[in-house]
Amino acid sequence: MDRMDDKLDSLLSAYRDACPDREPGANFMPELWSGIEARRGAALSTLLRRWTKAWLAATVVLAVVISVFLIPRFQEPPALEATYVDVLSAADSAGDLALLLPQGEPE
Amino acid sequence: MLIEFAIIEKARSGDDQAFNQVVQAYRKRILGTIARLIGKPEDVEDVGQEVFLRLYFSLEQLRAPEVFEPWLYRLTVNAAYDFLRRQKRRPESRMSDLSEQQVMLADASAGGKLRSEEVRRTQLREMVQSLLEEVSEEDRILLLMKEVEGLSLKELERVYKVSENVLKVRLFRARQRVLKAFASRQELESPQGV
Repeated sequence: MDRMDDKLDSLLSAYRDACPDREPGANFMPELWSGIEARRGAALSTLLRRWTKAWLAATVVLAVVISVFLIPRFQEPPALEATYVDVLSAADSAGDLALLLPQGEPE
Repeated sequence: MLIEFAIIEKARSGDDQAFNQVVQAYRKRILGTIARLIGKPEDVEDVGQEVFLRLYFSLEQLRAPEVFEPWLYRLTVNAAYDFLRRQKRRPESRMSDLSEQQVMLADASAGGKLRSEEVRRTQLREMVQSLLEEVSEEDRILLLMKEVEGLSLKELERVYKVSENVLKVRLFRARQRVLKAFASRQELESPQGV
């Protein structure tokens, strides 16, 4: 097995020589920078999308809060259910208003 | 280190010129490493671009310039691993997926320019790559980083962030598998050998 180990070592060493370090093509740097710019733009639009989603969620929550808690409060029945005149006419059932009228014919 | 700490610091604080200098200092070495890790010369630059893109967007997370190299190797290993995994999931053949040897043979038959040295290198690359298919992508990369790139166990510990003992076990198993495959091929090819 030692012999095989040595053979494998020399094979891997030969492999290293067969794949030397290489110079990149002329477009390597320009393509890298355009990739960086593209990803920057994508990162910005992702950020904007997240903000939009967050604002949308906050708006929905606010709408739910308003519809559940605030609108019913405005729709509560008023403290006085009848007008002043209604109250007066209800109180007149005993003919109290007749007392206010003149009692006899003038001479 | 191929570059001064001060330049890495500058790049980390968002200086694009300094980042350019970092890329220029390391690109040759990183492309060589990628070529040996993935074994597909036609895809080396794409993976290299991905490594430096990841470097650009994660540079501010670098704790200290001293750990820059292991960290760059870590990005390289991850990008190579992602590439190999994508290749595994995509079995259909495109022109760019054909092996270098196949493309060269096609070129040669068209132009008659096949050079024997290049053919020998290509065959060697293909042989090693097919041997390494006996182990998982993770172990293949680990084995190459140790045996071909020449990183020490200490350096690998910093790249992989696992203990030396774990690395030793993984390396031993990977090497045993490759040796077994190598031995069985030698038997098939005997008496010529390698």
